[in-house]
Amino acid sequence: MTSAIKSEPFILNIGPQHPSTHGVFRVKVTVDGERILDAEMVMGYLHRSMEKLAEERTYTQNIPFTDRTDYLSSMSNNLGYCLAVEKLAGIDVPDRGQAIRVIMAELQRLASHCMAVGAFANDTGAWQTPVMWAFREREKILDLFEMTAGARLTCNYMRIGGVAFDLPKDFVPMARDLMKTFPAFIDDIDGMLTENEIFLVRTRGVAVISPELAVNGSLAGPMLRGSGIAWDIRKADPYCGYEKYDFDIPIGYQGDSFDRFIVRLEEMRQSVRIVQQALDALPGGPHSTQVPLALRPPAGEAYARVEGPRGELGYYVVSDEGPSPYRFHIRPPSFINLSVLKEMTVGGSVADAIVALGSVDIVVGEIDR
Amino acid sequence: MPTRWLTGHETAEAIEDLVPGSVARSTGVACYLKPEMLVEACHALRDDSDGLDLVHLTNLCAVDYWSHFEVVYHLQSFYKNQFATLKVDVQGRDKPAIPSVVPVWHGAWMQECEAYDLFGIVFEGHPNLHRILLWDGYPGWPLRKDFLSMPGGLQPGLNEFAGTARREAPPVRLVE
Repeated sequence: MTSAIKSEPFILNIGPQHPSTHGVFRVKVTVDGERILDAEMVMGYLHRSMEKLAEERTYTQNIPFTDRTDYLSSMSNNLGYCLAVEKLAGIDVPDRGQAIRVIMAELQRLASHCMAVGAFANDTGAWQTPVMWAFREREKILDLFEMTAGARLTCNYMRIGGVAFDLPKDFVPMARDLMKTFPAFIDDIDGMLTENEIFLVRTRGVAVISPELAVNGSLAGPMLRGSGIAWDIRKADPYCGYEKYDFDIPIGYQGDSFDRFIVRLEEMRQSVRIVQQALDALPGGPHSTQVPLALRPPAGEAYARVEGPRGELGYYVVSDEGPSPYRFHIRPPSFINLSVLKEMTVGGSVADAIVALGSVDIVVGEIDR
Repeated sequence: MPTRWLTGHETAEAIEDLVPGSVARSTGVACYLKPEMLVEACHALRDDSDGLDLVHLTNLCAVDYWSHFEVVYHLQSFYKNQFATLKVDVQGRDKPAIPSVVPVWHGAWMQECEAYDLFGIVFEGHPNLHRILLWDGYPGWPLRKDFLSMPGGLQPGLNEFAGTARREAPPVRLVE
């Protein structure tokens, strides 16, 4: 007997205005009943053409642009850009500047992963409690940023040759206190979600990425490590003295959404370790080298990368000896991580597509630039 | 141990062994490949697990040098921890075209769309090359150096902004 109900594929728009897309981002899915047959991404709603704007501004004036690409991790973006220009111009950074950079980058990773984990829990249906707890902890980190750089989200704190200001005198004790209480929050989230049956059913085996696809699809960061590839630029190609700190790289072994969540959670614990070590061993001396404001690096090109919260964050800068970059290219990790979204969602249900998108941890400012 | 950043000459030597005749020239930074041999050479580089083992296409972007475009490929190996830069010269400003490397690296899909969107470089063989950030039918190619003389770049008053006319006249003007 054939089914009395006839079904035919139809197109459903998830977004551009949808809470699970974390910004203005649209996924056009073709569904047959609840099953996804095809997924097409539509992006560019937030395109500001920063790469073009940067060609008309000096090297120092470009630092605030990098805040506004990935607005959840402005410190990491500042750092990546400054490293690229320093590599191009051959500028050394004093030890204290490097240690401050490491502290800020790791605090930024904590703040960003708070958002990632909280919003991911929201997407899976753990409505509001985890995200509010995560926001509460993130506020404390943003307070530290505010007292150091004067801004909470778009910090604009790193400079070519170091950082903009030295740490205020209350920073070190306050950061130490925060790092004492922070692991308790990670344990809270862990206890609330990791063995929660509903959370496990929503995430286990959903949106699986095989290691082969992860490598071939140019993934980076927690997406790559969730699939079992132990690759972290902080270990593989240390910058800013990361080789001096003792930390581990967590990896998943199934490549599903749950593994990516667990990898992020464990990375937060490792970041706390790094911040504690960096605070303990904070060297004295200057926080920055003197660099001319109208910097004219020698003609050439440089590609520098950092391990941002979302993965390999690269900056490719070409100089023609002018006061502004000839070409300024950002390697945006969450844009490239989306290249496997179709493989993650096709064959699953619409509800699983929301979980898949949440596990990528996109920031639309970075995708569209 | 930090990443070994291969020079263009080292990369060129290795590629010449794998696919003879595919290297156009090499510099200290990058190895320039011939466009017609690009896909074959990339396949060989990716599968060469005993040699360079460049399995991961990290970054793909284009640069406009007025006389030609350069498409830049940043590749790395996880197991050998090494990093290489490949480049391809793309000639012509009317309809610049090179082969797509999507058959080799799936991760090139979106990045090639982006380079097409902003530079107008056609990647032949790409499964779905379209304007990814701008809308379909947008008239100009924003990241080209002569964008302001294109239809999409002409906005009333834009040419009068301080700074837009600062760069001296380019050596070649190829816009009709």
